[in-house]
Amino acid sequence: MSHPGELLSAFLDGELSPAEHRKVMRHLAACEACTTELADLQRARAAVRSLIVLEPPPGLVPAPERPPIRRRVPVWVAAAAAAVLALFIGVSAIAGPRTALEVRLDEISTQYGARTSLDPNVTPGQVIPAIPSIGGAE
Amino acid sequence: MSEGAPTSWEEVARTYGRKIYNFAYRLTGNPDDAADLTQEVLLRVRKGLAGYRPGSFDGWLWRITRNAFIDEVRRKKRRPTVPLPDEVDRLDAGSAPEPSEVLASVRLGDDIQQALLELPYEFRECVVLCDVVGLSYEEIAGAVAAPIGTVRSRIHRGRKMLKELLS
Repeated sequence: MSHPGELLSAFLDGELSPAEHRKVMRHLAACEACTTELADLQRARAAVRSLIVLEPPPGLVPAPERPPIRRRVPVWVAAAAAAVLALFIGVSAIAGPRTALEVRLDEISTQYGARTSLDPNVTPGQVIPAIPSIGGAE
Repeated sequence: MSEGAPTSWEEVARTYGRKIYNFAYRLTGNPDDAADLTQEVLLRVRKGLAGYRPGSFDGWLWRITRNAFIDEVRRKKRRPTVPLPDEVDRLDAGSAPEPSEVLASVRLGDDIQQALLELPYEFRECVVLCDVVGLSYEEIAGAVAAPIGTVRSRIHRGRKMLKELLS
């Protein structure tokens, strides 16, 4: 390969195709002049990248949004949730032990339901082919 | 709108305002011009956002920014503080900087900034979009309306000139 010339900057920026990248690599291994040029280009690039990020004058642009503040759950809400959970566990125990398959189906149903509710393109009841297989049932 | 594109002017301003300001500053080397340009770009975004069609939002935004910059420089032609693309060769690098410029250049890599200002406009623009804004070659090509090969060449030649200017 002849000297890569302006491909060197693109090489530095990861903007070459894999084949071009390999060619330049092979050339660099054998060409001291191009290796020196690459180092010079890298220094020039590093110099520009070292420029500090400036803050715009106040009022010019709106400040970036702050992440939402996570509210602590009030104690009475947590207590109520615990009571409902305890009741549910009690009812489940009365209904008898569930098989591993039933538990797995519940897990999938939870996942599936969550996905459909987040994806506006999926209508309720629509069959989604990507449902994971149920362990050993196929 | 393409996926992930901001849906309101405020969102564009919040997300891109600082980047636009830094692009403008590094292109002009002057905080006042950078602020004017940022304001102008945000106004144009506000007017143009409703007409934005799905595609590369970054390409659209940086094309607006770049055009605003060129228009702004032309508008200020009678009292130039920034060289026009075709006037770069006549840049008077020895002219006295404004006091605010001196203040801003302290601790901000003033030698690198000065070297950037000495690059021909087309090279400076591509180098800044690549190394300050962080766009890919494809995005830069969209912003400056030039083929990727041209962008690659401008970045390479710009860096070679910078290396000479800084050494």
